[in-house]
Amino acid sequence: MNVVDLIKEYDGKAVVNSVSFEIPKGKILSLIGPNGAGKSTVMGMISRLIAKDSGVINFEDKDLSKWKSKELAKKLSILTQHNNIQMKLTVRELVAFGRFPYSGNRLTVEDNEMIDKAIAYMELQEFEDRFIDELSGGQRQRAYIAMVIAQDTEYVLLDEPTNNLDIYHASNMMRTVRRLCDELGKTVILVLHEINYAAFYSDYICAFVDGKIAKFGTVDEVINKEVLSEIYKVDFEIIHIDGKPLSVYY
Amino acid sequence: MTDTNKNLRTKPYRTPAQKANVRNLIILTFIVIGVCAAYLLINSYPEKPKLFQYVLSLRIPTLIVMLIAAFAIGSASIIFQSIINNRIVTPCLLGMNSMYTLVHTAVVFVVGSGSVIATNSNLSFAIDLVVMAVAATFVYSYMFQKTGNNVLYVLLIGTVLSSFFGSIQSTMIRVMDPNEYDTLLTTLVADFNNVNVEVIAFSLVLLVALTIFLWKDLMLLDVITLGKDQAINLGVDYDRTVRRLLLGVVLCIAVATAMVGPISFLGLIIANLARQLLKTHKHSHLIVGSALMGMLAIIAGQLISQHVFSYAVPISTFITIGGGIYFLYLLLFKKGGI
Repeated sequence: MNVVDLIKEYDGKAVVNSVSFEIPKGKILSLIGPNGAGKSTVMGMISRLIAKDSGVINFEDKDLSKWKSKELAKKLSILTQHNNIQMKLTVRELVAFGRFPYSGNRLTVEDNEMIDKAIAYMELQEFEDRFIDELSGGQRQRAYIAMVIAQDTEYVLLDEPTNNLDIYHASNMMRTVRRLCDELGKTVILVLHEINYAAFYSDYICAFVDGKIAKFGTVDEVINKEVLSEIYKVDFEIIHIDGKPLSVYY
Repeated sequence: MTDTNKNLRTKPYRTPAQKANVRNLIILTFIVIGVCAAYLLINSYPEKPKLFQYVLSLRIPTLIVMLIAAFAIGSASIIFQSIINNRIVTPCLLGMNSMYTLVHTAVVFVVGSGSVIATNSNLSFAIDLVVMAVAATFVYSYMFQKTGNNVLYVLLIGTVLSSFFGSIQSTMIRVMDPNEYDTLLTTLVADFNNVNVEVIAFSLVLLVALTIFLWKDLMLLDVITLGKDQAINLGVDYDRTVRRLLLGVVLCIAVATAMVGPISFLGLIIANLARQLLKTHKHSHLIVGSALMGMLAIIAGQLISQHVFSYAVPISTFITIGGGIYFLYLLLFKKGGI
């Protein structure tokens, strides 16, 4: 999957300004940057939730806009931050929606196996029949991830998955993301605010400033004093833990 | 779907809750059939065949009209709530039926009550429907887009729209020729004692055609309730589906209003009763449940109005009072209503 010259404007102001990059397969790519840098918009365009103004998104050698939405739903899944459901929905029913692109409303035996697996993978068995609106934020987020797993797509896009989660749940979420990549072989693209989560858990980082890519590279290439200070306009110190760079800022 | 996949398909998996829902729906169906029978047969003088026949000839069309209206209001309300993702909003609360009344008045106002367009009730109904479909789809889809489906805004604008349409309509009536007004009135204030039976066939055909036309979109309703992002993620063409469903809602409300007049709160009551009875997100169950609840409410209400109050209190009074209280209850005491 790659992106060429992506542009998005709101009211004549370019929010995303000719962005091009290649998404490495089977790796975790984090999009970071200050507020309003355009990272979420880029994510929205990659996932077809937001219409692009110009540019090309190639997905498996075919323009993304040429894909049938339903076929794309079997290849690429997106989880945004805005998930409020008013309906009475149990965890299992929510996860079952992940199978919708494959079987519509009628679940096959195979679908039910996938749903069981996804629920087990996220350790949600005991909550299976609880209603979504009765769960805590962390449990709900896990249920949504289980749905993404049930959707069984090669590419998984997560828009700020750690948002509104406490440190415990957020770091669990990041470990899950790592497992999605390492154990299930998925390509994961994240939008993250927390630089250190990006530094510790991803393979590649793409940093945005003012709608443009400031730096794209491996974790070590991006997480260093000069690059980060340039991007965030704040002084940084870099320390290493487990051989991975972590940033300290104040 | 390839053949190998087909072989894997077994009977759809049903949880215990879903089985209970199916059972509830069957019980509800029998109750509705019972109430229908009661409506036809109470005080029908079966010992005097001529009179009996006459009573039935009056009651059967009315019953059919009530069933159609209940189905239209019930399903439209559920669909509408799912599109907006909120359960205290109904098309009627947003002024869709005052819009229909306005459209109807405007058509008569423009062409005159003597012209063939106004005197042929099927033709006038068809024209009302077309105008209504265009105007309502435009107004409401623009409104939802503008407010970003924020329920408080939607409700506020809906209330304003409702009285706005009402005012335009009453202005038209005031400047209208009194004779024209008289003819118009008979088609405007239809109620359950004075139903509009001429458009039965037309409405039936319309509703059946609509159901077939929207069948695929109706199947997507469960996914639509997950919200726009999730629906697109799961491969649904969200905007197109919502547009088509909204058109269906508009036409259903037009049918119901044309047949029995505006009953604002009925949709709210029956949709929520159905949701309370069937704690599920499955629209196949919810729509049927809501339609059945509507039939039960209307016919039982009509029975009470006829035989207990001997027509002194019209059924719409019950519905408005009961619905108003129920609406306040939902607004104030139900968690997660707004």
